[in-house]
Amino acid sequence: MLRILMRKVLILNEKDNIAVCLVELAIGEVIGQDGLNLTIQNLIPRGHKVATAAIAKNEGIIKYGERMGHATTDIKVGEHVHTHNVLGDRLSTEQVV
Amino acid sequence: MSKELMAFERSDGRWGLRNHVLILPLHSAFSATARKIADESNGAVAVSHDWSGEIDGDFDRIVKTISGFAANPNNFATIFITIGTPNELGIIELARKLGLSKAEVLNVAELGSMGKIAEIGLQMANSLLKEAKAVSRVSAPWSAIKLGQECGGSDALSGITANPALGVASDRLVELGASSVLGETTEILGAEHLLAARAITPEIGAQIVETVARYERSINYEGIDMRGAQPSRGNIEGGLTTLEEKSLGAAKKAGSAQFSGVFEFADQVTKPGLYFMDTPGHDTEQLTGFGAGGINVIVFTTGRGTPTGSAIVPTIKVATNTTMADAIPDLIDLNAGTIADGLKTLNDVGGELFDLILEVANGQLTKAEKGLHHEFSLSRMYNTVIR
Repeated sequence: MLRILMRKVLILNEKDNIAVCLVELAIGEVIGQDGLNLTIQNLIPRGHKVATAAIAKNEGIIKYGERMGHATTDIKVGEHVHTHNVLGDRLSTEQVV
Repeated sequence: MSKELMAFERSDGRWGLRNHVLILPLHSAFSATARKIADESNGAVAVSHDWSGEIDGDFDRIVKTISGFAANPNNFATIFITIGTPNELGIIELARKLGLSKAEVLNVAELGSMGKIAEIGLQMANSLLKEAKAVSRVSAPWSAIKLGQECGGSDALSGITANPALGVASDRLVELGASSVLGETTEILGAEHLLAARAITPEIGAQIVETVARYERSINYEGIDMRGAQPSRGNIEGGLTTLEEKSLGAAKKAGSAQFSGVFEFADQVTKPGLYFMDTPGHDTEQLTGFGAGGINVIVFTTGRGTPTGSAIVPTIKVATNTTMADAIPDLIDLNAGTIADGLKTLNDVGGELFDLILEVANGQLTKAEKGLHHEFSLSRMYNTVIR
């Protein structure tokens, strides 16, 4: 049962530079599971993504081992990865936000 | 080491995972009679539909669907109820050509009354069921499995629990030599370039891209713009950032294997490997198209607990979340929500699903089969023209 308490994020593929949060994560929380060592930089809602590696501006966001878009600014480890710092490669989500 | 696969070998070398006697009306007017025969028999199944012989833009698509469904290798025999028109008799011929070895015909033009059809049909069905019972499963190669992938009633967890768990099971099956088919063109829109990059040749990749582009042209023609609102505000609130991300979640059903080809709707799936089939997002139309393409087992991932099943193709329901799986246990075969609960890993659940597919292939009934969810629906592209 200890495992349930420990697992806060889900790594979907080893190539990924993000993980999916299974619970809401607060600023300053430390994630140490699955070989990760990151400190949460902003409040991240459940189901949203957290950077597990530093991602430079224009670098790809990798989820499921595939590129799902690119960073519009430098993203630090532990930072919330979403529409405020990511755009799709093919189709912009700007008009929706 | 997993258990051995045991299946029904058909005379043309195809493999059935079930041994159904199917009652199939070739005109909508015989739907009630078909169902009556099945209900009164010792275990035959029936489907009903709304085609009444129209010869319009959808004629070829409908003929392909009905003949393919009749010839699915899960059918030991198919009893056709026909008005006797050349087009209907042509469907029976096509089914035979596709490999249906036992095709029985109840011709209204010859038998005269519906009472007579029901009476003779029942005798025929029970006699075929007796014959079917005498046939045993034999050891089968992995290529006997033709898996169809479906998702319906998706939610925020679909892309991280049930769909990738299916991907793990699909990858294992493909590696062993089975066929696995991703469908639902609507649901890969936005990620097709990423799937195309996984094609074994550039030509197949271009075909995947063109299949989606063709679909997009058709919806643009109808005046619908799907892209402006994708991902939706609700998706974004749930954590989905880009359209590619959303479609990748749906496409996760196909795992990480390479794509060996692209099928048109209801094309016959004959070779091993992972394929994409151009099917509609509508669950029942897609399940019917898979059945018509010779797919003999389906995994259906669901966030809301869609009950839809098929009369002849066992359909395994995988829940994306534990709340729904607990609420409707009579519809769900496996709960992948345990991944999000932190209780199990993707590989755990993917392995469980692989084992379950094998059990179901070997004869274990799915919840949809037990609940007699025998949906059937013809896919149409054009307005129906009565002639």
